[in-house]
Amino acid sequence: MSNMSDRRIVVTGLGLICALGDGTDKCWSAASNGITGIREVQSVSTEGCYANKGAEVAESSEQLSSEDYDRSSLLCIKAAGEALADAGYTVTADNSNRIGVIVGNCVGGAASIDKYYTDEFKTGSAKPSDILRMPAAAIANNVAKHFGLNGATANIVNACAAGTMSLSYAADLIRAGKADAFVAGGSDSFSSLAFAGFHALHALAADACSPFNHSNGITLGEGAGILIVESYEHAKARGAKIYCEILGSGVSSDAHHITAPRPDGQGQMSAIRRAVKTSGLEFTDIDYINAHGTGTAKNDEAEFLSLHTLFDENKHLSVSSTKSMTGHCLGAAGSIEAVLTVKSVCEDVVPPTIGYSDEDLAVLKEKAGEIDFVPNTKRKKPVNYAVSNSFAFGGNNASIVFAKKPHEIPDNTNSEKLYITGIGEVVGNTEEEGKGIRASITSDDYKEHGIKMAFYRKLDRFSQIQLISGMRALADGKITIDESNENDIGIVVGTSDGPMTEIVGFQKAVVEGGTANGSAFSFPNTVYNAAGGYFSIFAGIKGYNVTVANSVQAGLQSICYAADVLHNGSENIMVASGTDENTDVDAELYGKLGLLAETKPYSLEKPGFVLGEGSVSLIVEKASSAEKRGAEKYAEVAGCAMTHHAVEFGTVSGSEDALAKAIESACADAGISVSDIDAVSGFANGHKTIDELELSTYKKVFGRDIPVFAVRETIGEARAAAGTEQAAYAAKLLAGKLGSTAKAYIGGKAADVDVSGYKYVLAAAWGAGGSYSAVVLKKA
Amino acid sequence: MNTEIAEKIKNMLVENLRIPADELEYTSELFGDDIGLDSIDSIEIIAGIDNLFGVQMTGAARENFQTIETLTKYVEDHMGE
Repeated sequence: MSNMSDRRIVVTGLGLICALGDGTDKCWSAASNGITGIREVQSVSTEGCYANKGAEVAESSEQLSSEDYDRSSLLCIKAAGEALADAGYTVTADNSNRIGVIVGNCVGGAASIDKYYTDEFKTGSAKPSDILRMPAAAIANNVAKHFGLNGATANIVNACAAGTMSLSYAADLIRAGKADAFVAGGSDSFSSLAFAGFHALHALAADACSPFNHSNGITLGEGAGILIVESYEHAKARGAKIYCEILGSGVSSDAHHITAPRPDGQGQMSAIRRAVKTSGLEFTDIDYINAHGTGTAKNDEAEFLSLHTLFDENKHLSVSSTKSMTGHCLGAAGSIEAVLTVKSVCEDVVPPTIGYSDEDLAVLKEKAGEIDFVPNTKRKKPVNYAVSNSFAFGGNNASIVFAKKPHEIPDNTNSEKLYITGIGEVVGNTEEEGKGIRASITSDDYKEHGIKMAFYRKLDRFSQIQLISGMRALADGKITIDESNENDIGIVVGTSDGPMTEIVGFQKAVVEGGTANGSAFSFPNTVYNAAGGYFSIFAGIKGYNVTVANSVQAGLQSICYAADVLHNGSENIMVASGTDENTDVDAELYGKLGLLAETKPYSLEKPGFVLGEGSVSLIVEKASSAEKRGAEKYAEVAGCAMTHHAVEFGTVSGSEDALAKAIESACADAGISVSDIDAVSGFANGHKTIDELELSTYKKVFGRDIPVFAVRETIGEARAAAGTEQAAYAAKLLAGKLGSTAKAYIGGKAADVDVSGYKYVLAAAWGAGGSYSAVVLKKA
Repeated sequence: MNTEIAEKIKNMLVENLRIPADELEYTSELFGDDIGLDSIDSIEIIAGIDNLFGVQMTGAARENFQTIETLTKYVEDHMGE
């Protein structure tokens, strides 16, 4: 148990850029005075569209920065710079590895994807350098690189809930002692992808959005909101000014529909309940809720119902949707609203929901009951406790609580042992020249798990392999989901590149046929969290649900994330997955980057690798849960670590020390010395630079030529899937499922090793830009 | 029934809505349990029919969307309007 100040998390810096202006003060002044940022869209052609409103940032990308990054990264760097300066946070060589970056994002480098395929369509050629600007994984990395931040990084890519989930994760990691502070929030740029997608779904308002009022659609916005989230002790020690406290938070899954919220609001209420409960508060304590309030009929109806159900006893609650002024900034929405909510707490002013006529006010009175929806003009009142809600595609819900003063929060943390109790694998088995290794899924695979055509036909490649691996893991772990456990099981999906095939297909149709040519069928699958969403819907999983995009190592990072959620007391079981697809689109993009070659691990000849694909899911379970249901244990997840040494995205050189640190930290977390490790399940993929970095770092850390298993020799560079497979391989080996000898590489040379006496196997993974993770698996 | 139109509609459904061709008959209930189309799919059908035949189905009654056969009849009745 810990004392109260150990668990205090505070906000010490704010940064904000959106259509309301550049800078927190400008934005707050506009938002609190009911001034809108919604205008006619400038950056995307709206020809042939029934809607043309948007909330864009006035500054062009060139005005934001001279750096050659995607607009989402530039917006994020702008807000992060303001927040770090506001916090007076001086980053030094000594403290840089204790401050990391966690940012939420929805559409990744959508502006760069648009540019690349527009160039290709119009001129027949596009710049390969734009390919590195496409993945969401680049954003947190670019921020870390810009400011020299070397703590753990993560891009949370849960669409419209991502900005709130990133704050929740940052606070949880700091409470767990993994960092002193995070640059946390979210960022998204305006994009033809999102505009065409919501247009195709008929989810855009023809005029400015009108949340909790006409509710006839959203207005898209763009921007970035960043908060410096810091431990109280650390903030106090450096004499920082403190804006407010972050108390609890809640993340949940609807398990209902890929785009629409549950009409009964159960998922939303689950997240809000978790947030209020983990804050040690009652619903009647809350003074202000910054609502999700998108302005679609489905959201607003469900949110009205949720708020009335939970808060009707509260006689002093104000609720507003600042999206009526900022537009819906997708992955940045939750973080922009968090900045405005923090200001509300500090200033005792509630910003309004704008857009009500006198007639609308009469209607609102009927619908609002005793809740004050703050129409048109701000409310001055004490704001001691405020909640910010975010709900997303895929049925992901997140809610977080800010407080003016310290408040004792319940300590639900535990240090239970964690076990891998189920494994589900979809990995490649067919190699085609120039296209790499691909997995095969047939209708029999769906039938085996009772998945009907009406469900699986909706899925893109990325979602298909995720669903099958997730269901295989649940079946292998003998887990059936029902009302008794549906809220105690969560999902972490790690990915390097997300659903790139679906994104590119959608974008090409828009480039070639105009913004009005977006596909309503395809758009829901273009968000990175769709795969985790479909899996939760089919399996009925209603707990934590997150997708993290962090290059190749995201698959192993998903296990670290899962362990943190379990130790935080949120769930009993987590499904940790790594998923990446290999289609003609992926092969083409990797080919254009010059990364494809017919190499083998440790051939040390040239750059490049054989591209692979797959999804590997592990059931990570608390000891008490595993024992209660008599689960078979593959191995114990004894220690985890995530590290980062910021180098340019797309490169790794210069970041080796972070790999060494990940290994040492994971061993320390497991309570062992590096000399206790019997072997490594490694990440060699045949790329000379990667394989050399791995060999030399292991030699340095272990002081000997430790046996290394190379799963990519058979499945190719399946990126996040290969990362999770490394852990799956180690777990199976420790469980004796692979026999008493195995093929390993010692000093880069193949050899058969006797594995029968192994107790500890470490899995380590690399990510472009200097992200690493390591997991120690122990014989169960 | 004009099978040329029906075949074009079928191909569009297979292509745009990922319905396996061998499970799709002209008389299959599109919004029933087996194929399971929903409101998002109906938006895609409207866009597809407009692209293929220049026929507007926005606001058309629900029964016209039941099967490939009923869609074909609607297109036949409204082509060139």
